Amino acid sequence: MDRRSFIKLTAVSGTTAALASCGNPENQLVRFVPDEDIVPGQATWKPGVCPLCAAGCGLTVRVMDADKDVVRDGQAGVVKIYAAKKLEGSTDHPVNHGGLCTRGQASIQVTYHPDRITQPLKRSGTRGEAKYEPISWDDAVAELVGRLDALAGAGNQRALALLGQARTGHRGLVVQQFLQHFGAPAPVRWEFFGDDLLRRANALSFGKAQLPTFDLANARFVLSFGADFLGTWNSPVSQSHGYGAMRQGRAGIRGAFVQVEARMSQTGANADQWVPVRPGTDGVLALGLAHLLMAAKVVTPASAARAGALIDGWSDGLPAYSPDAVEKLTGVAAAKVERLARQMADMRPGVAMIGGPALAHTNGLFSALAVNALNGLMGSVDQPGGVSFTPQFDVAAAARATGTAPGAGASLEQWAAGTLAGGSGATQVLLIDGANPVFAAPRAWRVREALEKVPYIVSFGSFLDETSALADLILPDHSFLETWAENVPESGSGVAVATVAPPAMAPLHQTRATVDVLLDAGRRLQKPLNLPWESLEALLGATFAVLPPAAEGGDAWSEAQEKGGWWGALPAALVAAAGAPAASGMTPVAFVEPQFDGDAAQYPLHLLPYASTTFYDGSAAHLPWLQEMPDPLTSAMWSSWVEVNPTTAATLGIRDGDLLEVTSAHGTLQSAAVLTPGIAPDIVAMPMGQGHTQFTRYATGRGENPASLLAPLTEATTGALAWAATRVKVARVGDPDGRLVLFAGGSHEEGRHGPGEEHR
Amino acid sequence: MTTVRPSSVLALVACACAWLGAVGCGYIDTSVPPPPLMGPGLPGESSTVLTTARPNLRAALDDFLVRRPEPVQPIEFPHNIHVGKQIACTEYCHESVTTGPVAGLPSVRTCMICHNAIATDRPRIKLITDMRMKGIDLAWQRVYGFPAPSHVKFNHAPHVRAEVSCETCHGPIGQQTVAQRTVDHTMGFCVNCHKEKQASIDCLTCHF
Amino acid sequence: MPRWGMAADLDRCTGCGACVTACHAENNISTVGPYQAMRGRAKHWIRVERYWEGEFPDVRLKFRPVMCMQCGNAPCEPVCPTYASQHTADGLNAQVYNRCIGTRYCANACPYTVRFFDFFNPEWDKPLHLQLNPDVSLREVGVMEKCTFCVQRIKAATIQAKADDVELKDGDIKPACVQSCPAQALVFGDLDDPDSAVSRLSESPRGSKLLEDLGTQPAVTYLSRQTLA
Repeated sequence: MDRRSFIKLTAVSGTTAALASCGNPENQLVRFVPDEDIVPGQATWKPGVCPLCAAGCGLTVRVMDADKDVVRDGQAGVVKIYAAKKLEGSTDHPVNHGGLCTRGQASIQVTYHPDRITQPLKRSGTRGEAKYEPISWDDAVAELVGRLDALAGAGNQRALALLGQARTGHRGLVVQQFLQHFGAPAPVRWEFFGDDLLRRANALSFGKAQLPTFDLANARFVLSFGADFLGTWNSPVSQSHGYGAMRQGRAGIRGAFVQVEARMSQTGANADQWVPVRPGTDGVLALGLAHLLMAAKVVTPASAARAGALIDGWSDGLPAYSPDAVEKLTGVAAAKVERLARQMADMRPGVAMIGGPALAHTNGLFSALAVNALNGLMGSVDQPGGVSFTPQFDVAAAARATGTAPGAGASLEQWAAGTLAGGSGATQVLLIDGANPVFAAPRAWRVREALEKVPYIVSFGSFLDETSALADLILPDHSFLETWAENVPESGSGVAVATVAPPAMAPLHQTRATVDVLLDAGRRLQKPLNLPWESLEALLGATFAVLPPAAEGGDAWSEAQEKGGWWGALPAALVAAAGAPAASGMTPVAFVEPQFDGDAAQYPLHLLPYASTTFYDGSAAHLPWLQEMPDPLTSAMWSSWVEVNPTTAATLGIRDGDLLEVTSAHGTLQSAAVLTPGIAPDIVAMPMGQGHTQFTRYATGRGENPASLLAPLTEATTGALAWAATRVKVARVGDPDGRLVLFAGGSHEEGRHGPGEEHR
Repeated sequence: MTTVRPSSVLALVACACAWLGAVGCGYIDTSVPPPPLMGPGLPGESSTVLTTARPNLRAALDDFLVRRPEPVQPIEFPHNIHVGKQIACTEYCHESVTTGPVAGLPSVRTCMICHNAIATDRPRIKLITDMRMKGIDLAWQRVYGFPAPSHVKFNHAPHVRAEVSCETCHGPIGQQTVAQRTVDHTMGFCVNCHKEKQASIDCLTCHF
Repeated sequence: MPRWGMAADLDRCTGCGACVTACHAENNISTVGPYQAMRGRAKHWIRVERYWEGEFPDVRLKFRPVMCMQCGNAPCEPVCPTYASQHTADGLNAQVYNRCIGTRYCANACPYTVRFFDFFNPEWDKPLHLQLNPDVSLREVGVMEKCTFCVQRIKAATIQAKADDVELKDGDIKPACVQSCPAQALVFGDLDDPDSAVSRLSESPRGSKLLEDLGTQPAVTYLSRQTLA
């Protein structure tokens, strides 16, 4: 044909194609029969438990109908399901009283995340390539059982290890029992912002190896050393609820709040007085205040004798902590110390707390013991407006779990070193349950290398992250809305609480509850473990049945499923033991200068990697709402940044938004500068949580990970990571390059705005 | 001056049509440049999105001109027979109207409540029995409803409680087999009745 | 007829941002991503503002949650050519999406910068879309959106109260932000009910309104943060 005819032909057919071939996809959708009768358009509310931090806030979950995309027998279609739509705090829950923090609100996105692992996977490429192929649950569990049988057959049960987040409650019990009955060592528990140091201090001072609970609502004076208690530390929603009441919940009474820290946190911003202090010297300030209280004739109550006796010089009135000595060591003016002590003496009841960066030093235990002693002196232990410890429901006793009480597991550092060293006891099968040490642990611990030496790794997580991407077998857990959820809060409540919630919705994918997988595997072993529980639901039913019901003749288990838990006065037999007794004859502690890594001349600044309100330790960075939520202090979204004091910045020629290089003796990274007056001149701070190399489409390749700079310094007694002890140097390496996205101040294509300027 | 040759015009028109068609059918994406692909995802996993964008130009035009294709139901359901058996609208199949916003279209599960025993020899009953066994549901197509961009939040329950009969808005469905669109739900239709019955005509009553 | 209003106690507010995410979850606010966020197109119907004062070590930082003030004399209403931005009898500034043609004059006029434009059709990576609230519209490209005081919750509670034949009590209706706030800093209710919590708080000597001198008559009262005596 000639050119003219060809063009005519294309024109006609093109137009026809444009209008005709666009079929309406809706007409071709297959609808499948739902698994239950679905009432459209009406919501029901079901109980739930938030899993994103250990606080364990109670939820009510709004459930409504939704159309889910499915493929059945190769046919694409939709099916009506009941879907969770919104999470709210449970009004009656003793921990959160109806409130829910920003991470808790975002946690619903875990269930619906597009990059969630939907079925069991088996590694098909080389380790670390993150190439997997789907396998059936039967095959997957058979694989796991096969590996465990091989260990047991060779008498090598100690070569099974579990590395995971600290799990308490029923899930923790099953994990512990599984390992114990198999013959494996206790789990290696690891969290970047773990509070084991504080638990140890509380065990020594008060006989309770437990996180503290604060009655802020009845306090007149709150003194916090570094604890971001309104944002990320301990039980933030419970503490925020108490804080609000402390401020404006009592007619005519407003509690005062002083925050001591070197970098203004979200919590610190709310303080009446913000007191910057030299890193690692919080304990000195605490004892300086104690010294002044004693001088003002405040007598140590008998109940506080134990905590005080742990401090060197306590019975002499702490002569080493005079205001001038305190000023020399901490940088806090003597007059300010005196004024604080006067306020504390006047505004009773008062309570002190310590957490976060203040404990993340090599002398962290000293600081914690000092604050405990101060609390003792203030008479705040187990008093209204003071500090106490939530009675713990003894799940093991209620479940009649057998076996001797387990010891603590190895630390991550010990486990990694042991695995790298090899030898007969080295781990051959590793189970990963909710921890991502490859992302956050100091590189010097060589966790990644240790994992690579383990012949077989199984992950139970719902997402591929830096650690689970090394797994050979992935057995994805349900999300918390799809399974029996439970929590026994360690803190945040005046009364004992056992939270429980039936599944709020049917599982979206072919996942299985990890506890049930472990119990199933335990039954299928050649030498079955014979754990007495069929499933997590059965275990929950068994333990809740022994709790006292609300009314005579009632049934605690059904009540708990309705209400979302059980709370109240625990019968003595069901209260868990207090924890490791204090070592008697312990040498009273004195202040020792904190150690920092890096020569001060070469690395003049301190690095503070703080818990981010949005990402916490990075475990919530995959949720798009949290990536887009403006950071409370900088309004940054989808970014990471380095907070620098303006004076320091001026010295280094740094302007807002400039690209900086931050270098420690262990690593280097580049990130954007944010100038802020709320940080000491010799400190730079970065939020933890960004810089993932593998963590779903929303977090991968975004921002920088300050953990890559961290020195492996630890506190000697507990082995806790001293994550605030790394020194760095900072240099300007470039102009703003658009990586920093701020919500405030309008469009930031140039990346600059004046210090402290706020247009929005 | 060179005249424009007809073949050039035709070529231009052809390109324009091809472009329009390609864009309209979504073959070429002219929206805002997408963010760079992040993360590997899992092998074989494709990322689909829900968006308020219409799937193609024709759908957009249909929405804009409020042109709705005649619904084609999966089975010729005889309302007349069922209503004739004294089954009220809200009794089995559209029951949530009394308590909530949505009337609902019954699943084949609902049909089988009666039809696993009643009239099991009829061809249509055999069809739905078969569907139920295969797990395929009745993909009813909407007869009444509002286009998405009108943002109407219609709540059945207050109307049912106000004793507005189903026929008022849905016509004599009891005399039809499959539902036919006999009442035109223009905004005027709703507002007139609201004015008459002294119900609110504030915009936010329905559009929020 | 109630007159809806809010009180925000800045002495309780901790700046945690729970309200921000709760609002996104309740109101189907789409995530725009870093590329669009850089261009100022993130849609935070409620946001936490920060005000820095002083220099190290005498630094103060104050937080303020800002949402649509539902102004009694709203600057965004007279400028809308299609009457999409209008006032309701119960004191809300309504944004009627189907009337909106996207001139964005209302956002221009608003002194609180609480109005947001949908520059593009929102997208939800499936299955995140299963979380969407069916009681709230999905706004398409070209319309303005803003805080509605969770009008869907107001409507639902009002209809339910009528169905149950009971009066609405103070505290029955809680917008998502109010409900989520861990410190209970936000209070919502009927300003025309003298016994309601929000009325009481609005009369507080600590109370003031944002940019009050502009004459917008905001329906949100801020109770100032106190200091140590």
